[in-house]
Amino acid sequence: MKFRNIKTIIAREYSTRVKKKSFLLVTFLGPIFFAAICILPSVIMFMTEDKGKSVGVIDQSGIVMPKMVDNSSFTFVDYSTESVENMKNRLDELGLDALVAVSELDTQARTVYVTSYSNKPLSMDLKEAIQSRVDNAVEDYRLSLYDISDLKQIMKDVKSNVIITSYTMDDSTGEEKISSSEVYMFISMILSIIIYMFIAMFSGMVMQSVIEEKSSRVVEVLVSSVKATELMFGKIIGVACVALTQFFLWIVLTVVIVSGVSAFVGIDSILSTSTAAQTEQMTMMMEGMGVDADAAMDAAGMTMPEMTEMVDSEMGAVLSTLRDLNYVQLIISFVIYFFLGYLLYASFFAAIGSAVENEADTQQLQIPVTIPLMLAFFIALYAFKSPDSAVVFWGSMIPFTSPIVMLARIPFGVATWEIVVSMVLLVATFALCAWASAKIYKIGILMFGKKTSFKDLWKWLKQK
Amino acid sequence: MGIIQCTNVSKSFGEKVALDNVSVDIPEGKIFGLLGPNGAGKTTLIRIINRITIPNSGSILFKGKPITQDDVEKIGYLPEERGLYRKMKVGEQAMYFAQLKGMSQREAMVELKKWFVKFGIESWWNKKVEELSKGMAQKVQFITTVVHKPSLLILDEPFSGFDPVNAQIIREEILRLRDEGATIILSTHNMESVEELCDNIALINKSHVVITGGVNEIRHKYGNNNVELIYTSQEALPAEEGLYSILSDEDDMGRHTCVLSIAEGRNTNEVLAGLLNKDISINSFKELVPRMNDIFIKLVTEEK
Repeated sequence: MKFRNIKTIIAREYSTRVKKKSFLLVTFLGPIFFAAICILPSVIMFMTEDKGKSVGVIDQSGIVMPKMVDNSSFTFVDYSTESVENMKNRLDELGLDALVAVSELDTQARTVYVTSYSNKPLSMDLKEAIQSRVDNAVEDYRLSLYDISDLKQIMKDVKSNVIITSYTMDDSTGEEKISSSEVYMFISMILSIIIYMFIAMFSGMVMQSVIEEKSSRVVEVLVSSVKATELMFGKIIGVACVALTQFFLWIVLTVVIVSGVSAFVGIDSILSTSTAAQTEQMTMMMEGMGVDADAAMDAAGMTMPEMTEMVDSEMGAVLSTLRDLNYVQLIISFVIYFFLGYLLYASFFAAIGSAVENEADTQQLQIPVTIPLMLAFFIALYAFKSPDSAVVFWGSMIPFTSPIVMLARIPFGVATWEIVVSMVLLVATFALCAWASAKIYKIGILMFGKKTSFKDLWKWLKQK
Repeated sequence: MGIIQCTNVSKSFGEKVALDNVSVDIPEGKIFGLLGPNGAGKTTLIRIINRITIPNSGSILFKGKPITQDDVEKIGYLPEERGLYRKMKVGEQAMYFAQLKGMSQREAMVELKKWFVKFGIESWWNKKVEELSKGMAQKVQFITTVVHKPSLLILDEPFSGFDPVNAQIIREEILRLRDEGATIILSTHNMESVEELCDNIALINKSHVVITGGVNEIRHKYGNNNVELIYTSQEALPAEEGLYSILSDEDDMGRHTCVLSIAEGRNTNEVLAGLLNKDISINSFKELVPRMNDIFIKLVTEEK
């Protein structure tokens, strides 16, 4: 092989791609997209939250109204003296968003019946808020029927709200770090999505490029100047350089955007708003689970500030985990596993591209290559649930799935020997597959007319 | 000694034999016609000379030494199935091909500019190929084939896609390159251009070389001893037993164009001497050499 030729090929593949509008678009929109993913959920939460809704309550049971505690979203107004018939047509006039009618206490069934009236269907949040409050009232009423003194105190006593603080041990320093396993899950998921996307996208690009040269008949001129294998590897490496350029630009741009935004808004205000948002989120989550946040706090003997503090420490764990993540290690492992995984798959895709004359014919030939790639992605998504399970372990060792699965495991910490073994296997498999792909490629690019089957590929592979 | 010597070259793809014991000697500084019907194995032979395909057996010598990958830089190849990157600019593309043939960036730029000026297409440099017509793209393709001053040029149907004016320009360029010392292998079905351009030919049919040699030798070899006689006379010339027979005679107001077939064992001198005694005035007397087209058809159909 002549290095000069390969260099010329790499340069062409690289420069024509990097100059494309689509490349620039993806490169600059990518980081904005990432930033949006991080920010959007809070924004959506904030925007969709019910604000300052007032709800009229006609309580004929006498036990519910005391439990209708206001919160930031809902205000409950007592109209128990009015009749339902009278009230339900005056919602707009009274500025009420809904009217809740509670029946008299059914002492037989030890419950109450609730009806609601509103001009618009009740929002999920409001419905849950009413439900949890009424349930709370009924539960209290039923408890009181047992007639045990100090029951309330006892209940308060037994309610539990255990907080798990996780530490990960750093073997090298013997230090313990407060950590948030959610953060590891998140990082692992993001990494597996990105590496899957990158491998699929860029090795697909190699295939397209091979098909382009074949269908435009440029290829015969090319192989009269350079060897087919030089052409194939030049192309694969050229596209890899494009991928790495994109990846590094993404990192740089994301850092620029994040530091730009935090300089503009001020990092403290971001942190404090996100803490507030977290508290809010937590409250809503609890209500969603049918737990009245206030009651829970009450039960846990906690006040709102204490609750915030607890969320704060959760937040602290997230932040400390984010801070302590070994980004350099993550980036290096991403680059290495992407590069090796891409090489393996790109050589397959180059061989497939060489065997067809247009992209429509690739589907059948692609199947055996796309299946392991998809499989790897699904195993990787499973990895953050149990990073050390057998499926995930073997998935991170077998070369066709290892680049994606191993990367998903890395944020949770992987023994060095495992990484070394998986890399060695991957490199060896690549060498073997590249040799086979090059054989198919050499013959395939000059074959026209007949549609290629797997049998043909096998014949080409055996041909001397 | 030829610039390319193929000796006993065989190549098969699976069951299919593409070339069977083919030996061709391509003399340096000449135009060599590679002829044959479709599917005869011409393209395979060309690809073997280009080192795109490696033969199963046989040897290829380039200037007397076994051909290597480095020699490929001294070859310029215009395949029959040719094309350019549609989305790439003409200039960048030409630079790319030139560099793949071993030229430095500066060298390639200087030479390409010369060719672009020569063909009057400087304004195309920054155009994309998809904006060019087929004929225009062919011109660019021709330039990329010759820009690195190859000592061996392999042109497969070089005139296809050109209008007569541009075909003539290319024809002149081919002759000029030959005069400057390049060897040219011309593969074409256009027998007129073979007669006009080629010094030697090889005819391949069904994986074998059927005939190879100088164009004139071959044409004379396949001549069947006919002469064309143009004379003026009121009456048609009768045949003379034992000397010549008349194959055809066209009378155009007393001006006759007739084809004589010389009898076995007699020669043109004897026929001419006999004709001088006749009561006709001879306007022209010339040996009839068969057209390459006829030889091609005869040899290929005879094989069947």
